[in-house]
Amino acid sequence: MTLPPFALRRPATLDEALRELSEDSVPYCGGTELLLAMRAGLHRPDALVDLKRVAELSGVRVDDGVLVIGATERHADLAAHPVIQERLPVFARMEKHIGNARVRNQGSIGGNLCFAEPKSDVATVLMALGASVTLAAPAGRRTVAVEEFVAGPYYAEKEPDELLVDVRIPLRDGLRGAYVKFQTMERPTVGVAVLADDATGWYRLGVGAVGEVPMAWSFGSLGEIDPDAVAGWVDPTPDLSGSEEYKRHVTGVYVRRALAKLEQVSA
Amino acid sequence: MTERSGPARVPVSVDVNGVSVSRQVEPRSLLVDFLREDLGLTGTKVSCELQVCGVCTVLVDGRPVSSCTFLTADADGADVTTVEGLSDGQTLHPLQESFVENFALQCGFCTPGFLMMSKALLDGDDVPDREAIVEHLEGNICRCTGYEPIVEAVEQVAERLRGGVHG
Repeated sequence: MTLPPFALRRPATLDEALRELSEDSVPYCGGTELLLAMRAGLHRPDALVDLKRVAELSGVRVDDGVLVIGATERHADLAAHPVIQERLPVFARMEKHIGNARVRNQGSIGGNLCFAEPKSDVATVLMALGASVTLAAPAGRRTVAVEEFVAGPYYAEKEPDELLVDVRIPLRDGLRGAYVKFQTMERPTVGVAVLADDATGWYRLGVGAVGEVPMAWSFGSLGEIDPDAVAGWVDPTPDLSGSEEYKRHVTGVYVRRALAKLEQVSA
Repeated sequence: MTERSGPARVPVSVDVNGVSVSRQVEPRSLLVDFLREDLGLTGTKVSCELQVCGVCTVLVDGRPVSSCTFLTADADGADVTTVEGLSDGQTLHPLQESFVENFALQCGFCTPGFLMMSKALLDGDDVPDREAIVEHLEGNICRCTGYEPIVEAVEQVAERLRGGVHG
């Protein structure tokens, strides 16, 4: 089916890109969410601002103990990136298994977060990791925690004149992590991330896909994580992948499995 | 406003199966429509238009993409390979041959997508095992043959690669 007409803008710098943005002139990168929304008639922008030629939005680097990932980096490239594989293998493995191979080759990490798809593996793991995003606007920049940025189903805390520049993940020496998901269709029924930094006593759990937004919690020890209690904390949305009761059940099962998998991960 | 006035067209130069093509396209032109309608390469099929079924898979610079959701403008400067590019018209590609030998197709509608996805996998650095093949093909749907013969067809080609054709 043909898409509605639109103009294509191709800025080369972040400043140019920011000047192009408006309510009807929207950021475009991989198109895995935007073009589908346009085809479904949910979105009819006058112009797409292609961000793929903006160098400031790409690249992966470690900056003062923080892993900085440019917004336009594609999932397949992140899964294969040597720095991410070495410093944050749990994140690389999650990226290797999201969507399907085509989505991983087209979709960007920034687009994934900005569209706030409720079943995003990326958001669940980033929330558990305590990651944040950098947003740029003509007036300046701000940093927002992913937990606040992914504010609701298909709703991110971003103004129309703002661009997501990068994702920032604080690195921890000796961090152990596991992410497991249950999936029978295109998107997961539940995804559970568990992270452990034994040296500083930092433990995090993230649960996504069951409800409207992923949720994450901190703990003082792994023993404090009670899978049955977590099943009660989530707010499942009944849909084709299951009823509320069923989703609570699989949440408990997958929290148990994530903890069991973490046991096998050495620092 | 006249009918011709619309968003400015964009120039696209693309190498399709080894042939250079230069056109002016509408920004909204989708790669699958460009291939099928403008170039007459109808081997690539369209179905779900949601990146879920995989029948429209083509390779852009060796990477598998859903051409139903890929702007032609984004293929500028790239090498595009479609199912028509697998064979020279005389000899089948090893994957095509293996699909025939293993009865890995029935109606054939999903086959171009499975072939291109499989090519992307086998062109990678590692020769995939069965588990990797199954996982890679999870994003493609077949509604008649079933998946076993398809996985076996790809596995046989992978085994031959492992057996030393690569050296």
